[in-house]
Amino acid sequence: MDKLPLASLQQKMINYLVNDDPNVTSTIMKQIKDHGRITRDVRLNIYKNAYQVRLKETIENDHEMLGFFLGDDLFDQMVLGYINAYPSDNTSLRHFADKLPLFLANTPPFKDHPIISELAHFERFLMVAFDAADAALFTRDLLANTPPEQWPDLVFRFHPSVQLAHFHYNSVETWQALKQEQAPEPAKEQPSDWLLWRNKERLTQFRSLPAQEYDLINMILQGASFADLCDFLLQEVSEEQASPLALDYLLKWLDDGILIKQKFIQQ
Amino acid sequence: MVHNLIKNQASARDFSLSSAAEGIAPPEHFLGFGLGLRTDHFQDVLSTNPDIDWFEVVSENFMVDGGKPKHYLHAIRELYPMVMHGVSLSIGSTDPLNMQYLRQLKVLVNELQPQWISDHLCWTGVNQTNSHDLLPLPYNEEALNHVCDRVDQVQNFLGRPILLENLSSYITYKESDMSEWEFFNQVARQSGCNILLDINNIYVSARNHEFDAQDYLEGIDKDKVKQFHLAGHTDYGNYVIDTHDHPVADPVWALYQQALKRFGWVSTMIERDDNIPPLAELLAEVETARNIAYDTLGRLQPLKQGEIVT
Repeated sequence: MDKLPLASLQQKMINYLVNDDPNVTSTIMKQIKDHGRITRDVRLNIYKNAYQVRLKETIENDHEMLGFFLGDDLFDQMVLGYINAYPSDNTSLRHFADKLPLFLANTPPFKDHPIISELAHFERFLMVAFDAADAALFTRDLLANTPPEQWPDLVFRFHPSVQLAHFHYNSVETWQALKQEQAPEPAKEQPSDWLLWRNKERLTQFRSLPAQEYDLINMILQGASFADLCDFLLQEVSEEQASPLALDYLLKWLDDGILIKQKFIQQ
Repeated sequence: MVHNLIKNQASARDFSLSSAAEGIAPPEHFLGFGLGLRTDHFQDVLSTNPDIDWFEVVSENFMVDGGKPKHYLHAIRELYPMVMHGVSLSIGSTDPLNMQYLRQLKVLVNELQPQWISDHLCWTGVNQTNSHDLLPLPYNEEALNHVCDRVDQVQNFLGRPILLENLSSYITYKESDMSEWEFFNQVARQSGCNILLDINNIYVSARNHEFDAQDYLEGIDKDKVKQFHLAGHTDYGNYVIDTHDHPVADPVWALYQQALKRFGWVSTMIERDDNIPPLAELLAEVETARNIAYDTLGRLQPLKQGEIVT
């Protein structure tokens, strides 16, 4: 029996864990001592089982509603397919299933039902909101302490947990129904935009974005000032309504806790 | 004693032997009796402030940018001493050390100021594939030199010695030509790292590989052991799996007592990772450990901060 160098022994062991080929199994089996009351097969299988169970549990924890939507059989099929397609290359299980939406969008039979990939994507958005960086918030008090003459030049930055999501199907409504243990409506095309973030109680929160608010948020992302937002609203409502409407939006964002404290640049 | 560098973090308790007891006083690094901190218990710990000496946290769980878990972690750190326990160092892997991971670890060390940092004597992956499991090494000269070299690099990077923990294992490679405890002890001696001895893992591996657990204890240098883990397992008759989802089993309590007799006062904690019961149940297990230690080594009096024994 040849003694293998460490690197080659480790490669054979990893190959065994990620691969079901009997040749791969017999290759590592040759390096295992046969001793005691249990066979080498039983011994190795403890590791293989642990590997698969751990990754499956990770996906179950991250994607609970997707699991309810698919049912046990399809979920198991998805897990096996994903584990084989994307063995973990990250030290953290937190990121193991990051590519699950991509896998579901490209792999039959899941890709024939795009809402499945969207559900997975929505759940990953929630995870990002949950543990994104902390940051001090821009508040009503800070706004009140800003001299009124500086307001037009205010620019805003979003909290690191804030995400904009676009879905083509009724994915979020389906997720909500499952969360409330109700049967979701049949999948249908229903384009919509969503805002997700972590609120002041550190809970993940989301709401749909009407077209006007979606446009305003995109303008902020591109560096627009408060005056720019007011100008945009002037195209949509009367002159008397524009400024109060802009202020309403701003106060809503402050109360949601999606804007952060920052030094304002005077133009 | 490690001193606090950051304000508002709890320092380790001091202990003295109660005057009536005969025995050896615990060493300075002795933290007392602790528990692995789990998400399920965050609220309970903060609202009930249980009388426990310290917590161990799993480093990887807090390698995130922010949010609720980190908020709770820091709030609990204000109340209790902590040690950090990692699962991803992969000290035995033939891949290069993961510097990104080590940098994240160092950031967390600076945030938490733990009494010490531990990981496992194992490898977790190779060639960019991670098993997310603690895989055993072959116990031979090549692996010994490889591990010692890497422990040295890690300790230099972190600027402090680390603790390595023994695994539960199910296989023995034909490449091994020494016992696990010989290998483990040599790693500690040659690399200067300390030892976290998992009493349950010794029991599990002794059953699976049919060796005498007492031989394991006697093969480890007394002055190297800084921490004990106690955990539950699942017994399948012909073999035992280290599941961490049950209370500590009676034979493991018995082995704990043998370990106390050999190593004296060693910071001890209960490690439950799955099937997490209410906090009170685990605190009761911590008390069981404390009582076994007091019965074996003498009764200790935990002192309040700044209290001096006269």
